[in-house]
Formats: sequence, structure tokens, C-alpha cells
Amino acid sequence: MHEPNPDRTIALRDPNVVMRLARLGSFHQSRLSFMRVLLRRLKSENWTFEQRKFDIDEHGVGRAVYTAHGPERSYSLVAFANDLPPEKRSDRVIATEWDATFTLFDGIPTEDDVDRLSRNVPKQEAGRVSEKELSLSRANRSVRLWDYVVGQLASGNQPELEKIEAVGYLMRTTAVYGSGKFGAADREQSAHRPECQGPFQIEMLSVFLTRAFVMDLVEHMARLRAPDIAVPLDPALRRRFGIGNSTGLGMAPFLLNHPALISNWIHAREEALSRIRSLPVASEDEAHAFRDIAARADLHSDYWTSEHPVQVEKLKHLRADMDALAAHLETADLISNRPWDRLWHWSETALSLEGQEQLASLLMEPYGDLVDGLSSCMSADETQFYQIDGSMRVSDLKALIEDLYDWALDIDWTSREAQARVWYVSEEKLEPRMGERFDEPIEPYEQPLCPGRDAARMYSDLKNFEEGPIAAFLLRHPEHRHVVRRAQIAASHPYAEIRDNTISSTVMPIDLLRAKLSFFGACHFDPRSDRWVRINMFQHAPFPHELASGNADGWTYPYLPGQSA
Amino acid sequence: MTWSLNEVDGLARKAARGSGLSWGLAEDAGKAVRWLASAGLPGPEMLAGLLTRNDGAAYDALCPTEVGSTWSAREGQLCPLISGAAICDRAADIADGRGIALGATSFPMLILPFVAGAARLADQPIEISWAGTSATLTPDGRVEFSEDSTCRAEQTDAVRIQASTMQVTTPHPRSDRAEIPEDIAGTLGKFAHRTYAPDTPESRLAGAGAGLTDND
Repeated sequence: MHEPNPDRTIALRDPNVVMRLARLGSFHQSRLSFMRVLLRRLKSENWTFEQRKFDIDEHGVGRAVYTAHGPERSYSLVAFANDLPPEKRSDRVIATEWDATFTLFDGIPTEDDVDRLSRNVPKQEAGRVSEKELSLSRANRSVRLWDYVVGQLASGNQPELEKIEAVGYLMRTTAVYGSGKFGAADREQSAHRPECQGPFQIEMLSVFLTRAFVMDLVEHMARLRAPDIAVPLDPALRRRFGIGNSTGLGMAPFLLNHPALISNWIHAREEALSRIRSLPVASEDEAHAFRDIAARADLHSDYWTSEHPVQVEKLKHLRADMDALAAHLETADLISNRPWDRLWHWSETALSLEGQEQLASLLMEPYGDLVDGLSSCMSADETQFYQIDGSMRVSDLKALIEDLYDWALDIDWTSREAQARVWYVSEEKLEPRMGERFDEPIEPYEQPLCPGRDAARMYSDLKNFEEGPIAAFLLRHPEHRHVVRRAQIAASHPYAEIRDNTISSTVMPIDLLRAKLSFFGACHFDPRSDRWVRINMFQHAPFPHELASGNADGWTYPYLPGQSA
Repeated sequence: MTWSLNEVDGLARKAARGSGLSWGLAEDAGKAVRWLASAGLPGPEMLAGLLTRNDGAAYDALCPTEVGSTWSAREGQLCPLISGAAICDRAADIADGRGIALGATSFPMLILPFVAGAARLADQPIEISWAGTSATLTPDGRVEFSEDSTCRAEQTDAVRIQASTMQVTTPHPRSDRAEIPEDIAGTLGKFAHRTYAPDTPESRLAGAGAGLTDND
């Protein structure tokens, strides 16, 4: 994927270290995260934004259109706001109504388009969109914060910062469907456009515009309630609001179903880390920039809250890690003698996984010139890697399995703990779920989401198969075909395969979710169980109308007292 | 109403799995039907016909019993998905001049995408022919197609696949969207439905992860 970098003398981290669930579940956003890639582009290309329609009544019902104009094309968020009875509000995929629903339209919609969408988008999965639409999503209000903020603004007051920070957003998206879902355009339809080339740029643009809509809506509702008294949010306070998201198991299989793509994401991140660790020296400015961002990340860890016992514990470690880092930085030489590699080695024994992965992200911050270009290596044309090479020799496939899945060959797959769980798709919502193999009648419906076990099963058949091209093995053993495909992809994509048991009695699907969401650029991971998580996106980011004059890239960590965007 | 190609792929993959094919073959079936639909060919119709015809049949009855001079199935007709995958797995052999002959085969159109895959893998144009239909597929995705009504045949007595030296200059028109007749979508949907686990009150809560409140 990447050209070898002549300046890189530190090897990439071993996939056996990186691709463990506990570490993937400790990833943090970075310069390579997709929302940061998006805002850098929007700013550098001077995108402009307009609210083309905002027609919402005093009950909060109506429609709005926000259009982003790029150098060649425009994209419009079409929003439908709803007056949702509280008993219908749920983030779960079982919901059938939401406070607001959205689609990202490819271009500028006509009135007829908006009418057509008004009959479909509010129904979400039960509706139908077309090749003119690029995404489909919905959001619910944070009951904790929405009424409070409307009330404050309507009475001419600003909301209190403490109350804002306790939640961090006014609405939570609960699904953002892209590529071809429910009739929307396939990714292939837009993938050749420069602005869509990177992963999830469409979805991130949709969320960025959704945040703007939500903030306009809350001010609008306050104005309708008290036209003479209401005030808008103070701009600095306004940026403290991100847009929330609730993500469940629907996202988890993605990491297993797109091995080449995931490998490219992680490869880019590892390449960035190794480039920085390879630097022989750093400048005073770079050292200062790093100390600054480390202090801001420290503050960020203080604002990050969770009630989930696992995350509570991880946050305790992260805060201790950030304190240890701050103490270490007081005397550390960040200038000479390969400073970042020394810092990295220090972290390997001094910090928890949370802290180590936070440090990996922080090290990239001063080095946009070394890092940002790697974002163009993060997409994948998966059709290129799809076909199995049937001419591979049986002995070569066997050696490949031993190399990629040695960890899985060591597991006793007959034990109940090793395969306690089953990934399946529910009849009712057609969504991925996880159940108990030995307690529920679900095994016949098992999805192929445990590469380790499947590779081990194949290996025992492979050991006894006669040497020759694997075409004969595949014809005899069609049940192993999907594993052969994975293994061959992983042979050329070092970070394609998760090196852990994804069906064990102790698996935490939130680790899969966090890995993916960190690449989106999400912050404040707040697991609500072992299989769904809330996050915050775009908190502290400039709004579309502020992008031209604002900081499009350095916004993810809260600013220190006295600093401003 | 048109379908995205992703939807076609997903529906075909699930339907193939629901009919009893292995996950790996079902993945291939999804991609194959997608390829046909994007080429404006009735892939979903062919798949619906095939799965209906072979419903309940075991893999062993549908796969080639021997891959010698002429492939044949133990009971009657070869499954084009199983044989198609096996053909693609032997791309190098075909390029080396060892063509493949199939005996009685059902819905031969479904083999086309696998031959396209083989041409790509072997970096060599490959031709396929049965009855009055022939096609040459090139490594860069071009197709030269000569068809009559046998193109859509439910079965044929013989299919021949071999390396080709033909120059193909006209790219086959590709479409971004697919049309699937309602009854065909219904048939595939019924097969796909077999892959879904019936819900229970417990799975409704626990399967997606109950936990803290989601309405605050």
C-alpha cells in the first residue's frame, strides 16, 4: 500500500501486538481520523455552506436543507424534524420514529425531491431512497439537555458549561447508513470524486451538517417560544456541543467483513507512528506543540465520563497515564537522540493500553506534513482482492495459516468458553446480534465472524490433504472457502485480521466498535453495555460558517484556559 | 424502483447461503449476481431459478464429481456457482491451455462472472460458450458477447471454457443500478430469510445489548 519511506528506520508495530481486541478497544482519534480529514479538505478547498430551507413550526415539526458547495459539486443535508412523544424515543435499532431524520442528497434537491424524501426518510429502514441519495440517518434529542438549553435561551440566558459538558451534545445520531443501503447510491458511484475518495467522507459530511442543523434548531425553538427575549448561544459555548452517536452491534461485523480496508486504516496509522519514532531530532517548536497537545489531551480525559465499569476502570488508568506523561515531560529531552522513539519506549512500560494508544495519536499532532498525506492510502478497492488464487499450493496455505493464526491454533476450540457466543442476524430487525451458543437455538444461523476458529478448523483438514494447488481442496471443502479468501487477503495486508477470539465468553464487542469509531474521529467513548456505546463527534469543531476563519484541524482536544479556536 | 448493486450483492449472498451453500460460495454468488446485474443481465432471475430448482439438494449431488476431461455431477446437472468457483480457482490451468469442459449444467449464465474473474486472475482473455451463446472476457473487464435465447437457458448439455486470443475492444456497458422483478426479489428474499434467527423476548433485549437507559 505505502511506498517505503526512506526516512523510516523504526519498523512498523507487529500485527500480533496491534490487532488484539484489548488494544483496538483502546484506540483514540488522530490526525488520520475521517472527520479531521474532511474538515481539512473543506477548509483548504474553501467550501461554502448555505441554509437553503428552514421551515420548522413551534412543535418542532418541519424540514430543512443545508447545502455544502465544493469546487466541483454540491451536497445537501435534507432534514426532517419531528415532534416525538417521549415514550417512542429510543436509540435502539428497534425504534420506528425519531426526533429528526436525514439524508445526504447528491447535489441540490428540487422541491419534488424533498417531497419524495419526506415520504421515505422519516421511516428510515422502512422507507426507500434512491441513487440521488448518499446516506440515510436519524437522531434523537438528549432529553437531559435539550429542554434545559431551549429553556435557558428562551429566558435570555446561556446554558451552564458544566451542564453542557455532562452530556456534550443536543442530539444523538443512532445510525448513519451509507453505500447502497435502503436504495441509496453505492459507494462506487462517488468513490472516484476527490472529496469522496477517503473512507466515510460522505457520512462525516452528513454528521457535520447535522450538528449545524441541530444547533440552529435549538436556537429556533427558543426564539419561537420567546421571540422578544430569546438569545442565540454564545459562539464559544456553542462549539462545546458536538453531535452524539449511539452505536450497537450493527457496526461490529464491518471490521471483520472488510479486512483489506481495515488493514489500510491501521497500516496508515502505524506508518505515521513509525515515521515519527524514526525522527532523529525534533525542533523546539515541535516539542512545544507536543507538550501543548499532551496537556489538552489530559484535560480531555477529565471531561470524558462513563458509567460502565470497564470504561470507568480504563478512564482511571488513562488519567493516571496522562498524569505520568505530564510528569515525564517536565524533564524529558524531546529534542535530541530520537526523542519520540525514546518516549514511545518509555510508554510501553509506564502506561496502560489506553495511555499508549493515546500517545500514538498525540505524537502525530505536531507532524501534519509527515502524517496527513497518509490519509490518501486509507481506502481500498476491495474487488481487487476478492478472487481466490486457486493455484496456491496446499503447503503454502498451511504455512500462511500457521503465520496468521498461530494464536488460534493454540486455542482449545472444544471448550465451551472458547466458542460461547454466536453472531447471528435477527429475523425481526435484520441486524447483527450476539447470543449464547449453549443457551439459545441460534447456532444454525451463525454468521462467519470468527476467523480464528474457522482457520483452526480448516487447518486440521489441510494437514491431511495431499499437496497440490488448493483448487482441489476448495472443491472438496467448500466450507473453508471464506477462510481461504481471508487468509489470502491478509497475506498482503498485514493488519487485515484481528488476532483474537471474537466468539469467546469474554469477548467485548465494544472493542470492535471503538476501533472503528476512533478512525471516524469519535471521542468520549461511553459504553452502555458490552455491546453498544455512545460517543461524541465534532465537539469543539468550528461550524460550517466558521470554517473559513476557524481552526479546521486542531479542535479535537479542548483548549487550555486562555487558548481559543 | 431500482436496487443498488450492494443490495443485489447482499440479497444474492444471503439467498445462496439460505439455500444451503457454504459462506464462501455464497459470497461468490453475491458478487456473481452483482456482476451480471451491473452488466444488464438477469442475474437475480437466474439465481432465483437455480436456488428453486436445487432447493434441498446436497452439495455432493451438485458439484463436479471429477474434474477430468468433462466435468459432471453425480445426479444430473452441475450447479453453475460451484462449478464457476472451481473454474475461477483453475484460472492458471485455463491460461496454460488446459480448457475446461462441463457436461449438463443448469443456468449457465451464472458462470460468466467467474470466467471474468479467471481472466483477471490469469491476465488472459478467456472464452466461454454453450449452445448458441459465447462470450470472451478480458483481464481489464471487457466482454464480447454473442448471444441468442440460450443465454438465459435453464440448462444446457455442454459448456466449454478456454483461453482466447481474441481482441475485445468494446467495453460492455455497465450500469450503477439494477432492476429486480418483484416475484424474483420475493423468491430470493424467501431464501435469504432462512439465514435470520427467529427472535425471542430474551434475544430482543440481550442480543443487541441491553444495559443502561437509551432515552436520556
